Amino acid sequence: MTVRAILGIVALNGAYALLGVALLWAIRGLPRWSDVLRLAGLAYLLGVAAFGVVWTQLLVVGVPLRWLGLVLSLVLGTAAAVGAGVLLGRPRPRGYGDPARHASGAAVLGTATGVALTGLFLEVLFRAARLQGLQAYDAWAFWVPKAKAIYFFGGLDHQVFTTFANPNYPPVVPILDAAAFHAMGSADVTTFHLQYWFLVVGATAAIAGCLYRHVPAWLLWPSLLLVLTVPRVASGLLVPQADVLVDVLFVVAALLLALWLRDGRAWRLAAAAILLAGASLTKREGLLFAAAALLVALVASYGRHRVAWPRLVAVAAVIAAAAVPWRLWYRSNGIGGEGPSAAGAGGSLDRMLDALRLSFDVLFDTTLWSVVPVVALVAVGAALVWGDRRMAAYVAVLLGLVFLGGAWVTYAFRELPITAQESANPIVRYTGAFVLLSAAATPLLLASVWRSGAEERR
Amino acid sequence: MLQRWFSAGIATRRLVVVFCVAVSVVALVVRYPAALRDANDTARENAALDFVDRAVGAGNSVFPDQQLLVEARGLIPADASFTVAIGEPQPGWTPLTATSAEPFLRSFLLPRRLEPEGGWVVCLACDRAAYPGAAAVWEGDDGLSILQRE
Repeated sequence: MTVRAILGIVALNGAYALLGVALLWAIRGLPRWSDVLRLAGLAYLLGVAAFGVVWTQLLVVGVPLRWLGLVLSLVLGTAAAVGAGVLLGRPRPRGYGDPARHASGAAVLGTATGVALTGLFLEVLFRAARLQGLQAYDAWAFWVPKAKAIYFFGGLDHQVFTTFANPNYPPVVPILDAAAFHAMGSADVTTFHLQYWFLVVGATAAIAGCLYRHVPAWLLWPSLLLVLTVPRVASGLLVPQADVLVDVLFVVAALLLALWLRDGRAWRLAAAAILLAGASLTKREGLLFAAAALLVALVASYGRHRVAWPRLVAVAAVIAAAAVPWRLWYRSNGIGGEGPSAAGAGGSLDRMLDALRLSFDVLFDTTLWSVVPVVALVAVGAALVWGDRRMAAYVAVLLGLVFLGGAWVTYAFRELPITAQESANPIVRYTGAFVLLSAAATPLLLASVWRSGAEERR
Repeated sequence: MLQRWFSAGIATRRLVVVFCVAVSVVALVVRYPAALRDANDTARENAALDFVDRAVGAGNSVFPDQQLLVEARGLIPADASFTVAIGEPQPGWTPLTATSAEPFLRSFLLPRRLEPEGGWVVCLACDRAAYPGAAAVWEGDDGLSILQRE
């Protein structure tokens, strides 16, 4: 709760952003400073994901996460990315304008309004996060103890990581928390809520930055602001658990894959690989989300499979290489697997129908998600009929798989009761991924419908 | 009819887009002030808490007296181990005391480790006779105490 702790966490997140900018410069190139600004949110998420993935591997092989290691990893990681950028001949950013977009006065007003309203909301969240006590059950029961174990004992302490609740949950969030403790100078479980505030800022900026050149401001901001403020999302943004981070990494990666399907720019795949690798080490369903996104992208790119498929297989290989060592570690430490004990077997048809009904009820519960899923489904339908059909099909099938994944979780883990009560069944938390993806994809889909009209008129 | 719908003109398509945006904006007009108000209320409530309330967090719902947690952190050295002994529920206990005290202390007191033979005993109305030679170094109300083994 001290200024020193706040400055420490600001510096740490600045370092994540710097690492991410260097990575993005290496894989994409950032010709203008306006590109750096526009993609700063995406860069921040790349930095966070890369840091989490690398430190997971280091902890698995026994390298302790201490203050010096934390600083060295960020400095060396940034230097390596800059070195790669130099070797690839990336030019240094120059100039400020955005030649790819000539914004009208109304568009500037729309962007300014969206940024101002989002900024106001984030400012209030900052004040709430700065002095927030540790309340959420999962947070104090296992996420924070794992972070404390990394902070105090340096690594994956056997006692803490094998005997606290949910020992097979991946370690990216505890790693980020432990890094925050080092940056703050103590295991300050009050100020560390600011780490989650930074993740929300980064996620918002990442989605807005990825979509900025593809959709008009009047389509982007209502959807983005609405999803930030719907009851279940707004109340969970600062909860120090892995749900928001896994959803954000997955959704931004899914957006990049959707845009890659449209323009085929390889850097989007590289960025999606880093984000999905991060998601697979953030929460168990991250692996399910990554598999779904890649599978749908594989099918959607069938028309140019000779070029696209080897690249998607390479992305899958990167994710697998990142995800496997942690799984080997917990198995070698006597911890059970992530899947249900009798996956897909033994459940009755009634339970399957009940699980589907529960997922359906949760998804269309307007007290949780307002109208976000309904608007998204209308947008998907409209885009399938009039807009970018390939992108609409990609989004529709991916949303369908995420939805079915949630129903499968309730069906297959037979110890879960059929209830939306969050302490008993994770379906509400899980549905957050569907809702965030809906909100992020809606502007893209609606923009394709709007432009289809203009193209036809020409 | 379907054919007519699919070949609808620009106006129909754009009407669908405008409809979606309008619905989102109306929902936003309702939700944004409410979300801002809720977050502001949370910020005010958090600011009104004292240092110990924030540090203890969920422990306030688990323990009848947060002083136990403050004393445990102060008395038990960081490299020591402790055990938690829970007896019959007392009138002042919360509904969570008996079930959540041990997991909460295990998390709250890290890096101190929870071990059955730990040198310290966080005693919640426990049977002190089960710890012969252990001396009470702090005692509070509702059967709460901290014992140090010989």
